[in-house]
Amino acid sequence: MRSQRLLWGSILRMALGGLGLLLILPALAPAQEEVTTALRRYKEREASTGYYEEYEVKPRRMRPFVGIPGAMRPTFPYSPKAAEIRVRAHLADSHRGVKFYEVRRCDECHVQEAEDVHTTRGNLTCRQCHGGEPIAAVNHYFSPLNPIRRHAYVCAKCHEGAGASFATYVVHEPPPGAPETRKTFPSLFYTNWFMYLLILGTMGFFVVHTAIWVGKELYHVFTERRRKPENE
Amino acid sequence: MSDQVRIIRFNAVHRLFHLFIMVTFLVQALTGLCRLLYTTAWGKAVTNFLGGYDSVSTIHNRVGVAMLLGFGVHVVYILLKVEWKALRRSLFHPDSLVPRVQDVIHLGQRLRWFVGLGPPPAFDRWTYWEKFDYWAVFWGLPLLGLTGLLLMYPLAVSRLLTGWVLNVMLLLHRAEALLAMLYIFIVHFTIGHFRHGMFPMNECMFSGSVELEEVRREKPLWIVRLEEEGKLREAVVPGPQPWFRVAYFAFGYLALAVGLYLLLILLIYRHYLEWH
Repeated sequence: MRSQRLLWGSILRMALGGLGLLLILPALAPAQEEVTTALRRYKEREASTGYYEEYEVKPRRMRPFVGIPGAMRPTFPYSPKAAEIRVRAHLADSHRGVKFYEVRRCDECHVQEAEDVHTTRGNLTCRQCHGGEPIAAVNHYFSPLNPIRRHAYVCAKCHEGAGASFATYVVHEPPPGAPETRKTFPSLFYTNWFMYLLILGTMGFFVVHTAIWVGKELYHVFTERRRKPENE
Repeated sequence: MSDQVRIIRFNAVHRLFHLFIMVTFLVQALTGLCRLLYTTAWGKAVTNFLGGYDSVSTIHNRVGVAMLLGFGVHVVYILLKVEWKALRRSLFHPDSLVPRVQDVIHLGQRLRWFVGLGPPPAFDRWTYWEKFDYWAVFWGLPLLGLTGLLLMYPLAVSRLLTGWVLNVMLLLHRAEALLAMLYIFIVHFTIGHFRHGMFPMNECMFSGSVELEEVRREKPLWIVRLEEEGKLREAVVPGPQPWFRVAYFAFGYLALAVGLYLLLILLIYRHYLEWH
């Protein structure tokens, strides 16, 4: 009798405890399954924000990438000045050590960069993409313009839905006819020269052709006209 | 003028196609130059007159799509015109615009005439420069249309192609457009309108007919062929109505003026013509 009461008592306590747990714990939901794995959650966040973990982004052995892909690197690759410029593209403050930086304007040094389509047509200022002071170099691993997150942090501010491919559009194009461009942007370089030669060839031939033709025709007309009164 | 015998050269469909490409080309040239020269005083003034940069871009884009549709209609027209059962004869007939060996020979004769080594070439219905004009538009329009269409939808395009392709497309679009404008406003205008006997405007693309005397001077072999085939009498058409002449001369002069004005703008702002 007593054991039976104990049994019922324990069942009641367990039921009450279970009820309490049900009230305390979050409700079971089918969606809960999807966020349980940290890896999946991280991947989703990465895709939507473009945010990457530090260890994924930092260059190996903390050395900035200073090579041109496909180009052989000699033993002493750059002059100290060139090395300084290349290293500058990886600094957290890309203008570190520039004299009188506080009183200078961007376009005093970056002349060409201030004349592209985004500046002249879109009325963008430099800082709208490059961020505030200190302006991080584009290849610095926390820079908003770092290619790994550029599309999400910068491009998508205006171009809603921009992806990594979209962000490969070169905003500050190199001069297409310059010999350096053959290495940095070959398709632009060759397209430029193809079109240049096409225009030069077409216009060169047809302008000369038409000019001689018109000139010769006019010459014949005038000589005919001069001859006519004599015949009459 | 009206007592002259005139023979038909362009039918109504040909003239409509030319009218269409004329109007759309001039609109595209104007709005395109507004976009290209937006940093200059001229560009800003005209762009603001047309309703601002966005409005000019919208006009340019929509007229561009219209041009592509027009090109599609033209291709369908050609496919309907080709005699598929006698394809070879149909393509290389003197009434066809497909280039022939004869055209290269004509060009050689022209070059020899330049240096005084022979008489000028005698042409049939279509001359080598007229064929060049036609085929220049035939590949230039799809190129400009395709690159323009890609540039219109950069987000969608960047899903299919890499984004930097748009850099190349923009260069192609601008360079081809500059070539087209220079060619039309300098070479096409000079040969078509400014030569002796045509100055200041050649009306045959609007009236559709040419004076027999002019054809005898410019394209003697065409007349010979028509006479041999006994089709010369069929080809004779009445001259255009006076009101129609007034209308198309006014329109033609306006179009020529717009073209020459845009050429002048191109020359004045030549240092601002960045094609990248």
